[in-house]
Amino acid sequence: MRYLLHRLGFFVLTLWAAVTVNFAIPRLMPGDPASAMMARFHGRVNPAAIHALEVAFGVNSHQSLWSQYLSYLHNTVTGNFGVSLTYFPLPVSTEIAQAVPWTLGLVGVATVLAFVVGTLVGAVSGWKRGGLVDSVVPPVFVVTSALPYFWVGMILILFFSVMTNGLLPNDGAYDVNLVPSLSPVFIGDVVRHALLPAATILITSIGGWILTMRNNMVTVLAEDYVRMGRAKGLSDRRIMYQYAARNALLPNLAGFAMSLGFVVAGAILVEYVFNYPGLGYMLLNAVNNLDYPLMQALFLMITVAVLVAVLLCDFVTALLDPRTRSS
Amino acid sequence: MSTSLVAGTPNPGEQTGPARVRRERFGFLRAVRGNRKALTGSVLLLVFTVLAIVPQWFTSVSDPNAHEFGLMLSPSATHPLGTTAFGQDILAQLIWGTRQSLVIALAVGGLATVVSVLVGVSAAYLGGPTDGVLSAITDVFLVVPTFPLIVVIAAYAGKGNLPVMIAVLVLTGWSYGARQLRAQALSLRNRDFLESARVRGERRSYIIVCEVLPTMTSLILANFLGAALYAVLTAAGLQFIGLGDNNSVSWGTMLHWAQSNSALQTGQPLWVVAPGVCVALLGAAFALLNYAFDEISNPALRPVRRTRAQRASS
Amino acid sequence: MRLTRILAGGAAAVLLLTGCSSTGSGGGAAGGSGVLTIANVAGQTWTCGFNPFNPAVNYLSFGFVYEPLVYINALKNNAVTPMLASSYKWAPDKKSITFTIRKGVKWNDGQPMTAQDVAFTFNLMKANPGLDFNALWSTILTGVSASGDQVTMTFKSPAEPYFYYVAGDTPIVAKHVWSSGGAASDPVKYQDAQPVGTGPYKVDPCRANNITYVANQHYWQPGLPKVKKMNYPAYTDNDPANLDLAAGKDQWGGQYIPGIEKLYVSRDPAHHHYWFPPTTNVALYLNLKKQPTSNVAVRRALAYAIDRAKVSKIGESGYQPPANQTGVVLPTFSQWYDAAAAKASGFGAPDTAKAAQLLKSAGYSPSHPLDLHVITISGYTDWDASLTEIKQQLAPLGVNLTIDDLAGNTFDDRLFKGDFDMAYYSQVGGPGPYYELRQMLHSANSAPLGQNAASNFERYSNPAVDKALNDFASADEATQHKLLDTVQQAMLRDVPVIPTTESVNWYQYNTGAFTGWPTKSNPYALPAPWQIPDNEQVVLHLAPKQ
Repeated sequence: MRYLLHRLGFFVLTLWAAVTVNFAIPRLMPGDPASAMMARFHGRVNPAAIHALEVAFGVNSHQSLWSQYLSYLHNTVTGNFGVSLTYFPLPVSTEIAQAVPWTLGLVGVATVLAFVVGTLVGAVSGWKRGGLVDSVVPPVFVVTSALPYFWVGMILILFFSVMTNGLLPNDGAYDVNLVPSLSPVFIGDVVRHALLPAATILITSIGGWILTMRNNMVTVLAEDYVRMGRAKGLSDRRIMYQYAARNALLPNLAGFAMSLGFVVAGAILVEYVFNYPGLGYMLLNAVNNLDYPLMQALFLMITVAVLVAVLLCDFVTALLDPRTRSS
Repeated sequence: MSTSLVAGTPNPGEQTGPARVRRERFGFLRAVRGNRKALTGSVLLLVFTVLAIVPQWFTSVSDPNAHEFGLMLSPSATHPLGTTAFGQDILAQLIWGTRQSLVIALAVGGLATVVSVLVGVSAAYLGGPTDGVLSAITDVFLVVPTFPLIVVIAAYAGKGNLPVMIAVLVLTGWSYGARQLRAQALSLRNRDFLESARVRGERRSYIIVCEVLPTMTSLILANFLGAALYAVLTAAGLQFIGLGDNNSVSWGTMLHWAQSNSALQTGQPLWVVAPGVCVALLGAAFALLNYAFDEISNPALRPVRRTRAQRASS
Repeated sequence: MRLTRILAGGAAAVLLLTGCSSTGSGGGAAGGSGVLTIANVAGQTWTCGFNPFNPAVNYLSFGFVYEPLVYINALKNNAVTPMLASSYKWAPDKKSITFTIRKGVKWNDGQPMTAQDVAFTFNLMKANPGLDFNALWSTILTGVSASGDQVTMTFKSPAEPYFYYVAGDTPIVAKHVWSSGGAASDPVKYQDAQPVGTGPYKVDPCRANNITYVANQHYWQPGLPKVKKMNYPAYTDNDPANLDLAAGKDQWGGQYIPGIEKLYVSRDPAHHHYWFPPTTNVALYLNLKKQPTSNVAVRRALAYAIDRAKVSKIGESGYQPPANQTGVVLPTFSQWYDAAAAKASGFGAPDTAKAAQLLKSAGYSPSHPLDLHVITISGYTDWDASLTEIKQQLAPLGVNLTIDDLAGNTFDDRLFKGDFDMAYYSQVGGPGPYYELRQMLHSANSAPLGQNAASNFERYSNPAVDKALNDFASADEATQHKLLDTVQQAMLRDVPVIPTTESVNWYQYNTGAFTGWPTKSNPYALPAPWQIPDNEQVVLHLAPKQ
């Protein structure tokens, strides 16, 4: 129990730190969002017109920093993130709600897939030390885990879209000429659009899971209880699944919980390369447009998602591994 | 644990168990030679280092950014990789671009490792409330989503400013190593050789620098390599989205210009392929070395080559 | 401005979330069916807001749905086409103007449009400065009132140059809509999802991925518009929009297309055409209050040294033509161009010998290099490329140019306050060179260093130029030409600003299914689909091919 309270305290502390950083960064910068707005609309600015914008967007704040901070905290807690400048006058929360399903769908599925497949391959590789799989897998996936995400995406575009004359779409989540619906045509189109970005995420993230699982497996196989199992004459299959893989999976599960948190951040560069309308793409655009309200809300959301995942992971670990509870 | 989703944080393995506790000192120089991954990584790194130091030996172009050739030329004898939409030689840009990528990798790797060691080892060795505070800070940095944070900071704090980029990468890249180092240092704390040093009446700083650190060399090196890999990939990503110095030559910046000129769609694939391959190779060099060090310091992980019998006997 | 990769947010799931039905043809209908499809990258999906005073969405409603009092054609020497005002009359002192509002015009909900609506619109802007984007009430307007079918406006000073903003650039909205409900309580944040305008089209329906415009059956010009339906898909990026244009799925483009001959024209040379009329200058603004750019020899040297043709070719792929030192955009405004003075100045072609000599006279040479910084907006990759080219051209002369890529708001801050050696920038301009030159050079638009200047960022101050620009407002046409010559000669002599290339209206058009497009030989309007309110003139001229 003490352990969990301890972790909860950490959760609150980190959350506060992230919220405060989020508040401070834009305010440390020169200029103001109103002129940023004008720049976005016309690429050119007239200070007289900027005043009109300041009035329009309510960004011309003359409050003291401290009272700004307090009202910011209040708004954050109550989930009031204000009005997006990019999508004026729609509230930030509406915009974010539209991007969430795309990111969860694409990055979420790809992450789970990478974890499942990667863990299986890693377990097999670690089990059959020196086997065919094990002689190929580690070097290959050490290299793939060093590939830049976005570049892999560009190469896939080159091969499967440009060189094949548009075999697979490389842009957006669906064809703008289709009307979104639950029809098979539309769903098929969404899947087709997700193939290349999902493949990109899979290729670049699977290596990490394979290598850690393999190494965990190897370490676990050297433990006494595995030797004991062998000595007792248990079947290989039983040792692999019941003894080794289960225990080797434990540290990997923690990593998986955390990476589920990161799903919300989206694979930012992948979404950028494919113009995939998820949260990561939205964050980049918000940064570029200096859309402070949108940017702050997104960053906060991503942080909270990761923190919740970490907290969850702590709880699960405490549940599965008695050692953490006693320490 | 893998957190590699966002920025490719490497996984140097968490095994800090009994296998790697004894002093290692120079053992691994020999081990590097015997490890294929380490050998490949070292050779790659060596090649890039030479390119970074004396690029002028490998290309006759002295200003790779100059718009001095024909636009969008196909590969030829004079331009083995062709030219960009601005009339720059792609090969020359690749060669000259090595320097910035390598400088970022080494600087971030070095500085982040120093911070990791300072925080991690002090936390473990000093213990008590100091450990509590340092560990809490480490954990905060560990879970704050780095890439979004970097994007936000880099967009505002002097875009295209190399020191700022390095600082941001160090700030976001040290925490993973600090936690690992703390764990290992913790396991060392009550070892006999440290106990004897304490009994001899050595100062704390002496014990940390002369007794604890040498024992941890291979993990520190692994951390350096991991941080360098992180820096290579993240810096390339930032440069790619235009947050680097767009007027300097680096691989990420090349990709930025290629993308903003629709290089793939206008029949210029080499402009995209070539710099990406370089980023990947440099990244691979660090990743292979990193993995190899893991194997060297944790022999259990090594691939088994000749004797299949070993498994049965272990 | 070339669209850069990162432009604006993109979120597309709204329809999935709200579970929209699948009826409706979507955007892809070919032109053959008489449906016009527009390709203009917005960088985001539609918010389905059409508030004509919201600069984020006004290009979707002003023109197509909302109309101005008159249309002013910048390409035809400001020829005036009466729209909602059937006529207008200036007072002799040009301090007031009376518009006669057209009879028989109806809002698209069937209610009649009257002079009351016009006066209401302007007074709404007065009450809500957030709507007044041309800052009319804070600079020039003093009153707007309606009586019968007449609307009278009064001004602080002779206001002829403001005619464009008042009559040509203000959308007229309906009093019965904007004086109640959400529009009345906060017109600035009013979404205006069902815009009630007088224009040729109304919105029916808008979805996040496509806006469908259908002909307004109450439109006051009989038989128009001939194109009964338009689709405006939400493209979040250039590539798919360019592909759809090339495939003929979209017929009206406002796109930057790299390698346009190969990617677009060659796909259907008989029907695929483009025309990029220049409208304003992209220029280096030289800080006149700060060494070394306060030295005219340095400024002239830079103007001689820069090879504008090459900047255009490398930085802008040749799409944006090279500019000239007079500041008059060619060929768009060629009737105002002081060719004799331009020729005598010798700025027509780069002259590095003269540049080197001038630099030497100022004490600079390759052995005593001149260090200069230029600020630019990051993300404008074409400007980056242009400046890199300029940097390389200046280097052999011993000028070390450092390019500072700044985030938009940092750039604005330093530009307004005069915190730069040189700034790369483009003015808003207007229908004619007068507007841009006044913005660039009139001392009333300047301010001391450290304070915000309105548009004279280089801080130029020349009483003769101020007088010429002031007199222009009430002069006859012959005198106006003389006055603008004076201004151009000052540009050539003092070089306060160095125009490098000319911003263009990006425009592609497909003659396969529609006729009546604006062309170089028939420039009845600025042709880009995002150019408001010119886009209304384009759709009124278009007709499906039989």
